[in-house]
Amino acid sequence: MLPSFDYIRPKSVQAAITHLATGSAQAHAGGTDLMGCLRERIFPVGKVVSLSGLPELRGVSETADGGLRIGALTALSALSEHPIVIKRFGGLAQAAGEVGSPQLRNQGTLGGNICQKPRCWYYRTDFTCLRKGGGTCFAVDGENQFHCIFGGGGTCFIVHPSDTAPALVALNATARLAGPRGSRDVPLEKFFVLPEVDVQRETVLARGEIVTEIRIPPPVSGTRSSYRKVRARRSWDFALAGVAMALRFDRKRVIDGRVVLSGAAPIPWRSKEVEQIVRGKELTVDVIAAAAKAVTSGAEPLEKNGYKLALFQGMIEEELTLMAASA
Amino acid sequence: MADESKDIYYVEGTPIPETPLPGKEPPPWRETSVVGKALPRVDAYERVSGSAAYPSDVHLPNMLHGAILRCPHPHARIRRIDASAAAKLPGVRMIISGNTPEADLIWKKDPVGDMRLFEPICRFEGDVVAAVAAETPYQAWDAAHAISVDYEVLPFVADERQALKPGVPVVHPKGNVSKTDRYERGDIAQGFAAADVVLEESYRTECELHTPLEPHGCVANWDGRSLTIWESSQGVYAVQSRVAEVLKLPLARVRVIGHYMGGGFGSKLEPGKYTIIAALMAKLSGRPVRLFLTREETYLCVGNRPPTNMTVKAGVKRDGTLTALEFSVLGTGGAYTAGGTSLADWLARDLYTCPNVRTISTDVFINAGPARAFRAPGHPQGAWALEQMMDTLAEAIGMDPVQLRLKNIPSVSQAREGNPPYTSTAFKECLELGAAAFGWEKARGEARAQRASRHIRRGVGMAGGLWFAGGGRPPSTVVVKLFPDGSANLNMGASDLGTGTKTVMAMVIAEELGIKPEAVQIECADTGTTQYATPSGGSKTVPTEAPAVRNAAVQVKQKLLEMAAEALKVDAAELVYRGRDIASRQDSSKRIAVKDLEALKRQGIVVGIGYRGPNPKNMTTHPFAAQFCEVEVNMLTGELKILRFLAAQDSGRVMNRLTYGNQVIGGITMGIGLAATEQRILDTGRTGKMVNRNWHDYKLPTALDVPVDVTVLPVEPVDTAANNTGAKGLGEPATIPTAAAIANAVYHATGLRITCTPIHPQQLVQRLADRPKEG
Repeated sequence: MLPSFDYIRPKSVQAAITHLATGSAQAHAGGTDLMGCLRERIFPVGKVVSLSGLPELRGVSETADGGLRIGALTALSALSEHPIVIKRFGGLAQAAGEVGSPQLRNQGTLGGNICQKPRCWYYRTDFTCLRKGGGTCFAVDGENQFHCIFGGGGTCFIVHPSDTAPALVALNATARLAGPRGSRDVPLEKFFVLPEVDVQRETVLARGEIVTEIRIPPPVSGTRSSYRKVRARRSWDFALAGVAMALRFDRKRVIDGRVVLSGAAPIPWRSKEVEQIVRGKELTVDVIAAAAKAVTSGAEPLEKNGYKLALFQGMIEEELTLMAASA
Repeated sequence: MADESKDIYYVEGTPIPETPLPGKEPPPWRETSVVGKALPRVDAYERVSGSAAYPSDVHLPNMLHGAILRCPHPHARIRRIDASAAAKLPGVRMIISGNTPEADLIWKKDPVGDMRLFEPICRFEGDVVAAVAAETPYQAWDAAHAISVDYEVLPFVADERQALKPGVPVVHPKGNVSKTDRYERGDIAQGFAAADVVLEESYRTECELHTPLEPHGCVANWDGRSLTIWESSQGVYAVQSRVAEVLKLPLARVRVIGHYMGGGFGSKLEPGKYTIIAALMAKLSGRPVRLFLTREETYLCVGNRPPTNMTVKAGVKRDGTLTALEFSVLGTGGAYTAGGTSLADWLARDLYTCPNVRTISTDVFINAGPARAFRAPGHPQGAWALEQMMDTLAEAIGMDPVQLRLKNIPSVSQAREGNPPYTSTAFKECLELGAAAFGWEKARGEARAQRASRHIRRGVGMAGGLWFAGGGRPPSTVVVKLFPDGSANLNMGASDLGTGTKTVMAMVIAEELGIKPEAVQIECADTGTTQYATPSGGSKTVPTEAPAVRNAAVQVKQKLLEMAAEALKVDAAELVYRGRDIASRQDSSKRIAVKDLEALKRQGIVVGIGYRGPNPKNMTTHPFAAQFCEVEVNMLTGELKILRFLAAQDSGRVMNRLTYGNQVIGGITMGIGLAATEQRILDTGRTGKMVNRNWHDYKLPTALDVPVDVTVLPVEPVDTAANNTGAKGLGEPATIPTAAAIANAVYHATGLRITCTPIHPQQLVQRLADRPKEG
């Protein structure tokens, strides 16, 4: 059952920010995550501030320099079906298309997707865990089959649930935030917060701040991007393991690029180990094998998520092989 | 012209079955004109458009809304309940708990002792602690959660595999063993000695949750001393009898209505504590009370398919003759006696010819929600073990899996007293015709051939099964009323669970009376206006109700023939019922339209009463099935994709080809859930609580997990002994072999025998990584 709350639909970004800065207010974009959080009473809410009266936060457009500007309220389906996104930022289109189900993609927004709350079932149900201000992580020696293998830092073992976030990090995107103290730009890579920094926050958003748009720089020629997701069922599910790649090729050789994992860590997780191995090399069977092995170096699996080691290795092998074939 | 338009509901030119003489049962049909066709559901429009009023749609004037406070611990003693703060909240009209004298009721008799409506010790997470009725659902929920409860949290056991270990907490004072069953025939040691190959393997299936679309619940209203309950139920008479027993009311003063219901799968064969709580709060408040559970609540406390831990030891000769089967199962019905292992061993006992069989079933208590019947209780689990073992045996003796099964097909039920023959069994035909239609040999060969180097591998597998019940049985009483215009009412106590029962019954009446199926209006599942029926479950609704409906329609015809005999002044035996009219066999000038019958005009209606007759003596009636599938496994990621399925089902006569197909596709979908996605997860280590009590974390298969390519192949043996329609049950047999067939296909693709459900990437990728590297 939902708790009782006030509902406000401001007509300007400034008004929305003012409302969000007061009391226990929560922003409502698509609402696909918020409704579940409210029903489970994960956090107190006195006021729900709808962003649906802010059309300026919607839409996809090319910038003058050939980059991309995506309004935070753009529906995931609008993104995954957008011809320019598909053509020039394929990894992002794929990632948006892998989210949830058609209904969720029609309703869910890009801003909401990167700001969503973790899916840890202890966090989501009636356990007063660390992230909810309690004294215990129940996952560390509990049912942790869907939890992280990197970045838990001995405190909280969530994985970041977003599919689009790793793709945006791979594409070196920047988030524009608006808040009580004005606007600021934050590279997506710096947008997410590890539990060791603050166990009760997932993003750098300050009170009253919202994401207004995402900007992606123009892709350097030779760049190919992709997103691959493995889940426990084929639709309406979060990643057991996922990988976003944006690799720049010179003919068959990888010049540079990013490899970012989902389902691996409390934030979209850059696998610098894989990046380092493929950089400057042709994707031969041996290079791919070395990269697959490297993806889990430094991983700290819990009792029930050890399968993620084999899964990430297998997925990297499959994805790099595909990349090599298309090079 | 005017007269012609009044009997628009009769059909022309289709043969109508012969009417037996009064007092005689009709013989089984041979050819049928309506039954067996692919007709859309009679209530499809109502269901799809939303005009069908389900119990959860019922809103009465002045109605209150109920909510239940449930124990958050798997095991706790209630020290004290303080509802004083909750009582002061807005809109609150009624609060009941173990402190309420009127609520001190025996809910159910259990071998471990009487279960009270409000137990002082909660033995599973989600047992009821208190309940509130308020003006709005939100006020009720808020007030229920404002009740302060002082719990003494007790140690728990949440894993049945731990339940019998020394020092483990006990669920009930007498210990954690609920029941042990043994079965034996022949000489098991001799059977193993006679075998050329003896193999043994252990298997496990995870606990599954029912998850019907409409949650459990009811609306209760008192009119003076009479109680009416609109309940989402598989059996309104089962609800009536339990409510009457608990509240000590005469049956006649409890009316239960469930015209529509949104799925049950076995979990709504009985009422819940919520039913009693709603009735009680309605009585005490003097207002109707609506009480439907949330999805989260239904996951905790209204049933499950229990987990099983099985071991099969089997002996076979080189020629494929089974010589011995030994089967053991450890399972749990949760915190109370609930059939935790029931029927898990039935396929080991009865599916294949085997002279020497021994089974042992151990049902234990744990601190978790009690089980309820779940589509073919025990059978998909038993098939998961037995049917994988059959494949393992086949490989060991170098025999094709289909051939091994064909070698061991019984014509009698070996596990029943006196070894009664089956009224029909087309298990052999299911295997043979199914394999042929699927292209079994070709598909097996091609899958193996393309295996070489690619990381996506194909596999082909199959499994068989039978269902313990499915023949139907008395009692059932139904009433068919024919109006002069050729339209008819059927009055039937049974519920239509969404399986198409009403449609099938309309077709039976249409067949017998020569009228259009859409001319039949059905009143069902109402103890106030329809006759006694057992709950719809056990795949027995059609073989139970359809013969009774047929008998009622036949009685209508007999009465019409008597009326016509009187009008035409001839012997009734000389007349033939032709739908629109009745005529003499000898003299075609002697005929009279049904609407012109004076006796009918006087009465305005003809009423036929039909009863379900007894089953044949010394025979037994069961459905059989063989299913075949092709899968693809990603050897790098452990992803499983099911490419196609073929189900060859022997459920006797096909009554409606469309609903038949629906049932089978639904059964396969559920079987895919057992095989690949579904699993209740309890936090067994620290808290014992269920962690995946929502539709995301409890993973039902989605449309993308079910193949588009599903072929339903009815195999229709002529069964003239089972009942006068020749139909056998279908709902449950359709889901029995599915999961095992998938596991066998995964083995074929990967060489890995996956003995534990679900075959999800988490398990499969680990197993693939652990296997010795191929040379």
